[in-house]
Amino acid sequence: MVDRESIACQRIKRIIIELENCINLLHVTPCIYTRSMLLYQLRSKMAEIDFLSSMICSKENQIKCSQVAMPQLNQQTQQNHQNQREFTQQELAKYNGLDGNPAYVAVNGVVYDVTNNAAWAAASHFGLTAGKDLTSEFASCHAGQQILNKLKVVGKLI
Amino acid sequence: MSNTRVCPEYAARLETAAELVNKVRDEIKKGVLVKRNLVWLELTGCSGNIISLLDGSNPDFKYLISQMANFIYDNSLMAAEGEKAMEQLFSIRDKEYILAVEGAVATKNNGLYNIIGRWKGEPITALKAIELFGKRATHVIALGACATHGGVSAARPNPSECVRVQSVLKRKVIKLPGCPCHPDWFLGTLAHILLYGEPELDNRDRPLLFYSTLIHDRCPRRSFFDQGIFASKLGESTCMFKLGCRGPVTRVDCPIRQWNQYVNWPIEDDTPCIGCAQFGFPDRMEPFITYNTTRGVRNVKEDSNKPGYTN
Amino acid sequence: MSKRIVINPVTRISGFMEINVIIDNNSVVDAKTEGLLFRGFEKMLNGRNPFDAVYFTQRICGICSTAHSMASTLALEDAMGIVPSEQGRYLRDILHGCEYLQNHIRHFYQYTIPDFVKLPENYPLFTTDQHDFRIPKQKNDQIVEHYFESLDISRSAHEMLAVLGGKVPHNHGIFVGGITTQATTDKIIKIKSILHTIRQFIINKMIPDAYIIAHYYSDYYSIGRGYGNLLSYGCFDRYKELGTLYVNPLEYLDGKISTFDSEGITEEIDYSWYKSQADAYKPLETIPDADMNKKNAYSWVKAPRYFDKPFEVGPLARQWLSGEYRKGISTMDRTIARVLEAKKITEVLNTLLQSLIPGVTVQEEYRIPETAVGTGLIDTTRGALGHWIKINNSVISFYQVITPTAWNLSTRGNNGLPGTSEQSLIGTTVKDVNNPVELGRIIRSFDPCVSCATHVYLQGEHIKSIQVVQ
Repeated sequence: MVDRESIACQRIKRIIIELENCINLLHVTPCIYTRSMLLYQLRSKMAEIDFLSSMICSKENQIKCSQVAMPQLNQQTQQNHQNQREFTQQELAKYNGLDGNPAYVAVNGVVYDVTNNAAWAAASHFGLTAGKDLTSEFASCHAGQQILNKLKVVGKLI
Repeated sequence: MSNTRVCPEYAARLETAAELVNKVRDEIKKGVLVKRNLVWLELTGCSGNIISLLDGSNPDFKYLISQMANFIYDNSLMAAEGEKAMEQLFSIRDKEYILAVEGAVATKNNGLYNIIGRWKGEPITALKAIELFGKRATHVIALGACATHGGVSAARPNPSECVRVQSVLKRKVIKLPGCPCHPDWFLGTLAHILLYGEPELDNRDRPLLFYSTLIHDRCPRRSFFDQGIFASKLGESTCMFKLGCRGPVTRVDCPIRQWNQYVNWPIEDDTPCIGCAQFGFPDRMEPFITYNTTRGVRNVKEDSNKPGYTN
Repeated sequence: MSKRIVINPVTRISGFMEINVIIDNNSVVDAKTEGLLFRGFEKMLNGRNPFDAVYFTQRICGICSTAHSMASTLALEDAMGIVPSEQGRYLRDILHGCEYLQNHIRHFYQYTIPDFVKLPENYPLFTTDQHDFRIPKQKNDQIVEHYFESLDISRSAHEMLAVLGGKVPHNHGIFVGGITTQATTDKIIKIKSILHTIRQFIINKMIPDAYIIAHYYSDYYSIGRGYGNLLSYGCFDRYKELGTLYVNPLEYLDGKISTFDSEGITEEIDYSWYKSQADAYKPLETIPDADMNKKNAYSWVKAPRYFDKPFEVGPLARQWLSGEYRKGISTMDRTIARVLEAKKITEVLNTLLQSLIPGVTVQEEYRIPETAVGTGLIDTTRGALGHWIKINNSVISFYQVITPTAWNLSTRGNNGLPGTSEQSLIGTTVKDVNNPVELGRIIRSFDPCVSCATHVYLQGEHIKSIQVVQ
């Protein structure tokens, strides 16, 4: 039984990646036919998630499911722990991308590396500069967008 | 809407504007389409978009005024002057017309920072002109950075309190950002209006025909970015990300369309994209060119022995 | 009995202006020229990255953007202590020359021709109610044909510019050190071939067309003179090996030509809505604050002066100072000088193109100094253009622009003397006060670019187009 749930969880993860890809494609595709095709794909993937989640979220399976999911989560946290350097505001300010320094920004207490992020040319992004806590700016522009998980975490802001 | 309409982007990526325009010509010849009236208002800006329009080819300006539209008014090009010129503009009020606007709208001192003419002795401000002629037009096309989002005219500290055209018009305004607007972006949009009505727009009212894809996604130097090979000064043939390239945040078709008879474009000229076709230009696209970030991220100790590296 | 005549908009110029004259017995006794567009670039530039000035200041003007990239680059080089290589200068000046050609062809055909030549009235854009068209039909129609042909020619001048400049308007190529890219052989030959076509057009069509107009409107040789003081900052000049290909920095006053001295440039504000500690100041001294309550002021146009005197700038000034054309100073002479200059520029461009070494890179890794001051003076299409920059904390702390149109369309100076174009209107005989075609023709001969001259309009005073004042 455990195997079945873990397969379902993996499948969901896979679908989420596909969903993201679909959404990205939607942004760049001008052709309305391709776009309706993509929307159709999105719907069918949503239906699949719905099916999978209802399967693993029935009461008796819930515990097993979380057991499956937990170790993975811990793994990730451990990985991040290696990068859990602590930054003060002043320390963060040094990482402004200028004169050979990397470009770091903080959002919700987490410090990310944007040195080679495409949208951060010359360590600047729509008038914002690196080396700062940009939590409120992020919230006002990218609320609900899955952007941060693509960035490399370098530590946390204290 | 007809179901047999072909997808223009995939049918002819490069010839979209020319193709639409040829179709307009054929339809006009067949008597299917009637030439529509076109009014071009130059407001608070540099009048660079009308100059850019003159740089258009296939279709060119002559084609526009002889085959596509009755070009009623433009400050830079019309023969009449003074009262007669304003009469020509005001005579359009009872007719159907398409309005093209370049330049932002100065609002300081009730708009008196920009007067476009006198009508019956009264100064007509840019603000008043857009109110008078924007509401009645069948379509409003805002072209150039200033008209679409304030642009350079509204750059901080915005001394003349300029706003974008949409801010004073409560109606659909088609937006063609760019500094200046490429002639094909305008003529292709106009052709689409004449043939099929309003083109398909994104959620910020830009025609998807031209503004669908990031420059970065079609950049000939993309592989350098992916490999992390960056130019340290202008004139190099690699990725200009560290010099401040805004291609990754600018949606427009410069890489495949190119400029001025399609001979060149900024990145091929060994300079970064400055995001002139992105909302927020210029304030939010700066710095345009900087050398503060070109010295690569590396350990100084390891690299200090390498020739040519100074810090 | 005096009448006031107001023409607004003055079409076929870049930007917005009003001509406001008082006429007594069909003769202009007083004239004011007012720019109607204000954006305040000098204030916008404060705090910006100095390199960005090159692309930013181009947005001052859509028709002469390249001119501003030249002046801002020169100012930056001066501030940073950078001396460009000769190859860098050739390349940059080639781009600038292309801009001259685009401007002159468009100004002559699209802006000047409709004043003198009857354009086909089935185009709504060409309808007019003036009737002073004197050229016989056959010649007239030929010029109309050239009007349309010129659109292709001026467009190809921009194409040449884009080959090395990336795009125009608002090019990317001109930058500190010269230009950003390399002139490879294929690019050089492309420019040469386009230049050949443009030169043939100028010689075979544009210059003869100008002389046809001059023939039928010869009275315009005697009106619109102004003061006759001429000034140039120099352009295509003082190359190490090639010497001066066009004109050195010179001035012409009271029949004498002498070397231009940049110390003589001041701006006066007695008749403009500005306040500052001094009524006259040097470019690097101050950007005055606005003061709309000032007495006697009637415009936001400042009054640039050279040793306290108003000067005319532009093609005629350069042709005169370089000795290429010295027939006279008038409305028609300005137009003739413009088309002759177009031909001269094609020769200059050919020489520069011959002197290029293909594939040379002129760019370096530049550093902005902590503090610096720089001046960039260059003669551009419409005349003498100056940019002045101060850098503090490695950002722009002060930026001054004095445009050619500010010289030509300036207000009265502190001594009360009218500006150059105001003076050129005064004394003009207007044949038909209901159709004062002379005024627009005189003003257009200066090729004003009001987008460049950062002005604002006086609030209040609603005047009818033609009004009896006494």
